[in-house]
Amino acid sequence: MHNRFGLKDALVLVVLLGVVLSLWLAMFQKDRQWTEVQRMSQRLSEIESSLGRLQAGSDAAGIGERLGRIESALASGVRVAGSAGSTGSAASSGLGGRDESWARPGVPVIWGEPWGWVNDPRKQPGFVEGGEFCESMEGQPPKILPFLSQDVYGRRVSDRVCEPLGDYDPADLSKFRGVLAEAWQMDPAGLWLRVKINPRARFSDGQPVTAEDVRFTFMDFINNPQIDAARVRATTDMIANVSVLGDLVAEFTFKESNYSNRDAAMNNYVLPKHFYGALTPAQINKATGLLMGSGPFRVASLDPERQWAPPEDVVLVRNERYWGAHRPTLERLRFKVIRDELSRLTAYRNGEADMTTPLAPQFVRVSKEPGWDQANQSFNWINMRSGYSFIAWQCGPRNGKLTPFADRRVRLAMTHALDRERMVREVWEGTGVVATQPANPVSPAADPTIKPWPYDLDRARALLAEAGWTDRNGDKVIENERGDPFTFEFTYATGGEVAERIARYVQGQAALVGIRCTLNAVDWSIYADLLQSRNFDSIVLSWQANAPESDPSQIYHSKSIKDQGDNFVQWANPEADRLIDAGRRETDAAKRMAIWHELHRLIHQEQPYTFVRIQPWLRFVKRGIGNVQAYPKGLEVPEFCRVGAVPAPPG
Amino acid sequence: MASYLARRLLLMLPTLVGITFLVFMLVALSPGGIGAGLRFAGGQMEASKRAQQEAYLEDRYGLDDPAVVQYARWLGRISPIKIGPSDLVAPDGETIRPPRETKPPPMWAWFAPKLPSPAAAVRAEGVAPADRASAYRRAAADYATVRAASIAANAVLQQALAEYARSIGRPDAVSPKGKIRASRLASQTPDRSSPAWPAAERAANAALAAYAAASDARARLRAAFDAGPYPKSGVAILPGVRLAWPDLGVSFSRGRPVLDLIGRALPVTLLLNLLAFPIIYLIAIPSGMLAATRRGSWFDAASGALFVALWSIPTVWAGVLAIGFLANDQYLGLFPVTGLHDPAAQAATFLPSTHNGRWQPGYLLDTLWHLALPVSCLVYGGFAVLAKQTRAAMLDNFNADYVRTAKAKGVAGRDIVIHHVFRNSLLPLITMFVTVFPATLAGSVVIESVFSIPGMGSLILDAINLRDRELILANTLMVAAVNLLALLLADVLYALADPRVSYA
Repeated sequence: MHNRFGLKDALVLVVLLGVVLSLWLAMFQKDRQWTEVQRMSQRLSEIESSLGRLQAGSDAAGIGERLGRIESALASGVRVAGSAGSTGSAASSGLGGRDESWARPGVPVIWGEPWGWVNDPRKQPGFVEGGEFCESMEGQPPKILPFLSQDVYGRRVSDRVCEPLGDYDPADLSKFRGVLAEAWQMDPAGLWLRVKINPRARFSDGQPVTAEDVRFTFMDFINNPQIDAARVRATTDMIANVSVLGDLVAEFTFKESNYSNRDAAMNNYVLPKHFYGALTPAQINKATGLLMGSGPFRVASLDPERQWAPPEDVVLVRNERYWGAHRPTLERLRFKVIRDELSRLTAYRNGEADMTTPLAPQFVRVSKEPGWDQANQSFNWINMRSGYSFIAWQCGPRNGKLTPFADRRVRLAMTHALDRERMVREVWEGTGVVATQPANPVSPAADPTIKPWPYDLDRARALLAEAGWTDRNGDKVIENERGDPFTFEFTYATGGEVAERIARYVQGQAALVGIRCTLNAVDWSIYADLLQSRNFDSIVLSWQANAPESDPSQIYHSKSIKDQGDNFVQWANPEADRLIDAGRRETDAAKRMAIWHELHRLIHQEQPYTFVRIQPWLRFVKRGIGNVQAYPKGLEVPEFCRVGAVPAPPG
Repeated sequence: MASYLARRLLLMLPTLVGITFLVFMLVALSPGGIGAGLRFAGGQMEASKRAQQEAYLEDRYGLDDPAVVQYARWLGRISPIKIGPSDLVAPDGETIRPPRETKPPPMWAWFAPKLPSPAAAVRAEGVAPADRASAYRRAAADYATVRAASIAANAVLQQALAEYARSIGRPDAVSPKGKIRASRLASQTPDRSSPAWPAAERAANAALAAYAAASDARARLRAAFDAGPYPKSGVAILPGVRLAWPDLGVSFSRGRPVLDLIGRALPVTLLLNLLAFPIIYLIAIPSGMLAATRRGSWFDAASGALFVALWSIPTVWAGVLAIGFLANDQYLGLFPVTGLHDPAAQAATFLPSTHNGRWQPGYLLDTLWHLALPVSCLVYGGFAVLAKQTRAAMLDNFNADYVRTAKAKGVAGRDIVIHHVFRNSLLPLITMFVTVFPATLAGSVVIESVFSIPGMGSLILDAINLRDRELILANTLMVAAVNLLALLLADVLYALADPRVSYA
């Protein structure tokens, strides 16, 4: 039976064709609108760019920069000729004729060296103005909001957009420079801090940065329990109050004297009240890309309807109205998430990213390829954020019973029995250096006189014998006086090749000195439980750093043993407690460093941890990116520039 | 049929509850428990601060309740039928729930004869809605502050009580997580001579004061809430019963609404599968048909061997090889490595066009080009099963009586294959599609991670690793519901296709 092609079928076909055709036409129409919008947005950005140039001065060596130079000249004691009349009252208004009427009398004012480039990108050979810089990230930040985003990736983005009151000098970590703050005063007793904000500082929408913004950031934003910033809230809770003393003058008061008060107050972003204050806490918690600050870059859209959301690439555009001395030369920063390590490296090779973070084996293998250095720069260096890996020994009781590691000699013997040089060489392909103490070598808190304990099996055996562990029955396993064999459990996380290799190595080395080591591989998610319940003999872990100096009390003070503190090895040493308490109270940096050095020497003697390796930063950067400097503080992306040919912007 | 459908749909509800409950309990009982990822991300912190922060987070996400209570609360939120005080909806779409209780300090009976009762708050009647809304906002901010203080004070008291329990030789009354087990101490009279007692008493007084402040603030907020600052959510169907949209909650590992996350990931996974499925079907079914009609020929043997060989290549390996050779500029470099679009494509036209005299592929072609490798990885393993199934079904039908009859009455061989045999062999293929399709909503973890595609697979994997309660439950609910609906659809299709089946 055949159906004939009837009127009905013809009608259906016509309607169908009509629908398809109109869809097709709608697409074209949409396309035309799209091109038009593109053209307009391009023109807008041109206009904005020229406006920005007008504001910052007509050329690169603009007015802003000249002003900066004049200011720094003033700071170094040059007097302005016409102001001779005011020199008589200089005593009351401070040194160098600068206005210090805002300051508390009798307390020295620190005029921070203004923030600027350490290396001028425009002096790079082949320097090209503009262009895009694309960085690949290993993980997806779920949001890029300041204080709400909790991962390093979100922070990489927000660091370019938001600015703190002050920050560490990239090239010299012992220097703290003013960013938004022009000057500040720190209470010698450490209980208050007064800052004077740079009058030129502007948010990316042109609004001035004021003391009220500072107060808002700490009191109404971070300290608001309705906003999901619990972590930052916990790290800034030493700030009792922020009061506004003038348009540009704010004063922090602290609950107790602690050297870290300055960083808590000055090294956190300052947020614009006029922007975040207009949003409800629910809107802020829900937002993904509402990131606004006063920094050299800004997000393209701050419209809640059109904000960035994962999984798009994060794109930051240059803040054409940047108030600081130097507008960045790059026009755009792009952050591209590539989670698989092979894809990451391949994408970098193919030029889909300008900078990537390779794994240690990739770094070693690829950077040796012939011709690699012609097109790529390879960086391998230790900086402020380099953490350390360690093996922790249980110095206290586990389930009510002391482990052999309660004895300092046993812990020291374990360190002697592990060839850490070889571990770095074989586990991490030779990247990184052997760690000796809680601070990394670029930190002023590190004592350079501490040398790693040598690899020495005989010394290890002697130390064990001294502690009463010898082979009493000839079974190649050492026993104590009661005849208990020396056995311990080594805990590591599953899923990582590195941890697996360390575990095998530790097991083998322990056997060499007559210790039986059982391996306990656990899922990462229960690590926290194990640490909190102190339910391990020995565990491999690493601590990350994010400042030149970190407070040792959370890890090494005996008061952090109870209540699930981070002293999970339960190492209690009265001398260490005394040093930590003294160091925390000491606001004088040089004196404090001396105390930390002493503490680190003590830790070195006591070995609650066997320090294994300082993790270096590894980066590959294309030759097309210039002025990439491996600073002790990390990388200064705003100083980067394009060199040679720059690809034409899309569209 | 209608009553059958209704019965099946109603039966789905207890099945869904059962599935989600099972999955939830699995997560809750796994090492680390719910929110394990949340707890670990803290870094170094002072013990007391950590305890307070943890208490805050546990309270924020309701992790301090027993697992069954957490599940029941989730069920209440996703249920479209709401009983009890109705939620409000703020103009920005935020759902506002009645203020939560503040927990009294642990072991408070030791330190105070009775709990402080909240001061009576005045109900604001007859105020303009705008004022009521701002009054509500103020009260909510106040309550959040004092409630957080009360939670922190309770955490401090917990620690002091744990210290006290240890000092009187009752470490069994402290859980491994450092919480006091109230039931083990409640019957005792406190030992006031213990050295840890004064600290506990101080902490308790602070906690009681914080609790009093919190319950006052709660009473004020409750009054502001009852004044109705915003319209109620949903529609009333009976007194005290309302119909409202289910709320899937906020993922605590990503701090974003679950619906947003799924809304972003699902289209990507669907796009991949919608491209992959037709390719699989268009290649596998004709090959299966050809193999059946030429049973025993070289084509039959070769296609069978090839498909089984492809089926046995692991996707991880194929994906890595594809990236290493096809996408790497050192070798062929034909395809992009990652992502779904070129950055420039966002600004390009949809269709191919010439722009300033230069040809550009446009958004559509660019997307297809980016999807080529992941889709091929998704496709190649799917041929074998489908082709074999088609071939077997066709062969079955070739031997059927009606084919012999058709042959006998002189129908052309081609017509027999296409109109009779193939039609009848399609039935099992359709039902197979219906049962396979829901599984693809879960996405392919391997392909998504190798090609950096932000789809459902990586979302679910992250959720499981971080023990993200909301995300896991929402995913389970979605996949389970689609599965059950697909099964129902398959049964209905059977009835439509086969007259012998009826559900009347």
